[in-house]
Amino acid sequence: MSGATCTGQRPKAPSTMFQFITLRILKGALTFLAAITVTFLIVRLMPGDPTTAFISDSMSPQDVAALNTLLGLDRSLFEQYVLFIRNLAHLEMGQSFFFKEPVGAIIVPRLGWTLLLIGTSLFITLLIGIPLGVYTARHKGQWVDQTVSTLIVLGISIFIPLLAFLLVYLFSLTLGWTPVGGAMTPGIDDSEKLADIARHMILPTITLVIVNLAQIVLYTRTSMLDVLKEDYIRTARAKGVSDQGVTWGHALRNAMIPTVTVTGLMLGKLVAGAVLTETVFSWPGLGSMIYEAVQKQDFPLLQGAFIVLAFSVILMTLVTDLVVAWLDPRIKLHGGTTQ
Amino acid sequence: MRERSFVQSFAQHSLGRIGLAGIVVMLLFGIVGPLLVPYPSGYNDATPLALPSAQNWLGTDALGLNLFDQIVWGARTSLFISVTAVLVASGIGIPLGLVSGFLGGRMGGLIDSVIEIAMTIPTLPLMILISAIAGPSVSTVAVVIGVFSWPTLARIVRNSTLKLASLPYIEAAVILGIPRRTIMFKHILINAAGPALVDLTIIMATAVLTEAGLSYLGLGDPNAWSWGGILQTAFKGGQHFHAWWLIVFPSLAIMFFVISFNLLGLGINETLNPKRE
Repeated sequence: MSGATCTGQRPKAPSTMFQFITLRILKGALTFLAAITVTFLIVRLMPGDPTTAFISDSMSPQDVAALNTLLGLDRSLFEQYVLFIRNLAHLEMGQSFFFKEPVGAIIVPRLGWTLLLIGTSLFITLLIGIPLGVYTARHKGQWVDQTVSTLIVLGISIFIPLLAFLLVYLFSLTLGWTPVGGAMTPGIDDSEKLADIARHMILPTITLVIVNLAQIVLYTRTSMLDVLKEDYIRTARAKGVSDQGVTWGHALRNAMIPTVTVTGLMLGKLVAGAVLTETVFSWPGLGSMIYEAVQKQDFPLLQGAFIVLAFSVILMTLVTDLVVAWLDPRIKLHGGTTQ
Repeated sequence: MRERSFVQSFAQHSLGRIGLAGIVVMLLFGIVGPLLVPYPSGYNDATPLALPSAQNWLGTDALGLNLFDQIVWGARTSLFISVTAVLVASGIGIPLGLVSGFLGGRMGGLIDSVIEIAMTIPTLPLMILISAIAGPSVSTVAVVIGVFSWPTLARIVRNSTLKLASLPYIEAAVILGIPRRTIMFKHILINAAGPALVDLTIIMATAVLTEAGLSYLGLGDPNAWSWGGILQTAFKGGQHFHAWWLIVFPSLAIMFFVISFNLLGLGINETLNPKRE
């Protein structure tokens, strides 16, 4: 890129960045609209009586009448859709069959536990995976290549319940180092609460880190190998920048772009992993709630869980997109149209 | 010097060969096995929750049923589900990828946005919702998994198509007046088949993992043996910590299946894109 075009475009940077962020937020909103529309249609157009998904035999006639007004089950599909969106805007997602409470009130406290687990796992995965990816990129060769590709195949092949059971069996039942499940010891003193939660989090977090680590290592490694071939790296070396300085100072920032992008794409998988992991460890998040809801055939709760998880994932994807934009100066300058 | 054929190059790849061998074993288990092994049903005279022994190779479950028989019949279910899922995913993903990449323009961009939206939405909670409402059945689960597996395939076919569409032989085909459908499904698809094939092996593997996960959560078909279903029964009955065989053997079967297909994918991928220094 010549100096003239650079100075010519720099003053425009704030507006293109603003444009970029607006576009990404719109895209996120559109994705969420698509997700909830799909849910709406699936539940209504499934063979059989759609009311079975919202009304259980155990409800009183008053409850049924109230739900009918709320969801408009006797009206046209379009009117139902408008009502559905309007209800959702008020966080109204129907009544749980089993708990006989509004779905939103059950989900919100549990969402916190799931996000805590997912957030911690993701943080630790990146903390271990990025340096490991850099390390394997700097020590490439037949042996490292083979080991990395084999480990990645094993990583994507893990069946989460097996890994979780093995961890509980080893660390909780045999060695007695960690609690078997749950998130807190009942009746624990407030001063020890955080340490207690941390101890309960160890095994579920390890499970999710092991499952997701391979992909982060792979992407960091591949993009690091690409970046290290670039001219500006050769220039930095020629200037006499140390090997460490080139790796961590010059190359890593650009090598991070695909890693952050793949982190965004991994979020859905991370949620799926959390659902299975929470079940084994009785972690009180949305995952174990989904398990209970399946056993109890509690459809409104399952629908609410999907909507809330979809919203969280779309929001987190938006954040990773913005991190990519921050890392990638081409997006800052050109609003995402690379060249 | 003659160029080596794909099969010859693949045969050089040891991990790919292991994967292929694993798949052959799995096919024998799933197709021939149920002809030799009786369908486990009802109660059995054998001791419930018996340890693996010469009589019951992999032990028995809480009903005294032989675990080995259950795993053999589970292989059939897993094969059925993964093959169905791959067919459904190909039926949606390949045409969308071809059309999006070949036509380009507004239509192509629109399809690409749909692919991106479908890739962002977390699918497991949605599959759980659909399977719960539809009721447990092997074919429902298979179709549901297939319906949610197409986006990566579509993206891969689209990217290959974009590259191929600008090549001279495709331009020549357009000028010759060959119908666009023929160009897409014959001339382009055959050359985009490699990367698509790699993704199909991954879809096979993921489908089995997803089915096992769904059955483990209690969404499996109670009338069909499935590896995840064995786990769910043990977990629900609270036998998962003392009757370790009920957890370990079905899980190993799942991972054997999944690793075999992922290794095959790795082998095909490295045969198509050899690492040259």
